[in-house]
Amino acid sequence: MAVLQPSAVIDALKTVRHPGREGDIATLGLIHDLEVQEGITRFGLDLSTVEEAEREALLARAHAVVKDLDGAGEVGVTPLLPVEASGPREAILKGVKNVVAVASGKGGVGKSTVAANLALALKAAGADVGLLDADIYGPSMPTMFQVTSPLQASSDGRILPIESQGVHLMSIGFLSGEGLPMIWRGPMVSNMLQQMLSQVAWPDLDTLVVDLPPGTGDAQLTLCQSVSLTGAVIVTTPQDISLIDARRGLEMFRTLNVPVLGLVENMAGFTCSHCGEVTHVFRQGGGDRIARQLEVPLLGSIPLDPEVVMSGDEGVPIVSRNPEAPGALAFKAAAEAMAGRLGEVIAEKTGAPGGDLHLTW
Amino acid sequence: MSDVTPTSLTKVDEKTLGIEWSDGATSRYPVRFLRQQCPCAECVNEMTGERILDPESVDPNVEPVNIHPVGLYALTIEWSDKHSTGIYTFEHLRKLHDGLKSGEEG
Repeated sequence: MAVLQPSAVIDALKTVRHPGREGDIATLGLIHDLEVQEGITRFGLDLSTVEEAEREALLARAHAVVKDLDGAGEVGVTPLLPVEASGPREAILKGVKNVVAVASGKGGVGKSTVAANLALALKAAGADVGLLDADIYGPSMPTMFQVTSPLQASSDGRILPIESQGVHLMSIGFLSGEGLPMIWRGPMVSNMLQQMLSQVAWPDLDTLVVDLPPGTGDAQLTLCQSVSLTGAVIVTTPQDISLIDARRGLEMFRTLNVPVLGLVENMAGFTCSHCGEVTHVFRQGGGDRIARQLEVPLLGSIPLDPEVVMSGDEGVPIVSRNPEAPGALAFKAAAEAMAGRLGEVIAEKTGAPGGDLHLTW
Repeated sequence: MSDVTPTSLTKVDEKTLGIEWSDGATSRYPVRFLRQQCPCAECVNEMTGERILDPESVDPNVEPVNIHPVGLYALTIEWSDKHSTGIYTFEHLRKLHDGLKSGEEG
């Protein structure tokens, strides 16, 4: 089979006219993220300038001209639509009562471990819980929940979340395959998140925990704009230097009017298994100090415990694997404090902004 | 975080959008004025804050088609001139409200 050159794909697409404008779809810059591999050709087609009635036909034409090329193999065309065109926003996640984002100002603080265990602790307390792994740059839930079964579609063509250890899971890692990096620009990130929210058939849930990628960028912004987040939890390590990063996360949520439920201090004291002495690797009382400086509640302190790390790596997080371990008890206490804060936040908001801020002229 | 948030939107008449606020205040915005105040990057220079959109170029009969909330902090308005990229934060709307009020009094 001949190796297909990307330029040949573009040339083929140049034969497709824009239905509403002068010129072809390639020259007008509607083709994005073209990817040619052996047996697979994929690209995105920007439909924001195309009338709704013309879109399907245009997608089909673009697909057909590429499919005809020698060596194109399977052809995948992703329709790219502006966020504004995605329809009424309230339809997204309508069976989900609370959406809680777990965030951190920087990577490496154990955010995913905290998100997974908080979800399991809420489940253990009797709630219906979902976990959306939106960490597009390093999805860890496939590993933490040992999920290998393929995704399935519901009867209406949406993706069914995978249930593992009682939690309904969706991860960007299920779509990409383990170990493959996501090399995406902002608009793709935003598109993918939109799809993970709107095209996944979430069951009725009390709480959907969202594991955000670290930092304060496109993905965080998209999420805060597409869903009415009930609140956010910020994960930090207890040393003073983390204050700056935690504050960055905090300020982002404040700007976007998302209530910050509180701080979870991860990697607090380490208890020696031989002598029982506690070593505060990252300073004692750091989480408490950071929480006071940021004026947010400290929801819990998770000890630095090899079992917490190991259990996550092995696909059964500590709350599932050893519910009475100190680490698991710390997560349960944090989940309880978080649930309490959720109640407060919801009570404060009653009568304030809500789903009724829609108006058709 | 802006503490004051809208509680409801109303179409007061063909040319006026009403917003009720959580502190009991009521705003009345002429819709063409809101379109002229669009804060998006096409209408305002992102670096300098300078307004690019010429207010006079806005269709005198422009009106909203749909209004949606954006997360918990803003509204977006789809306009009859097909423009829909503006995210009107509650804070911005409230400032416009204050501006309109002081205009009335002055």
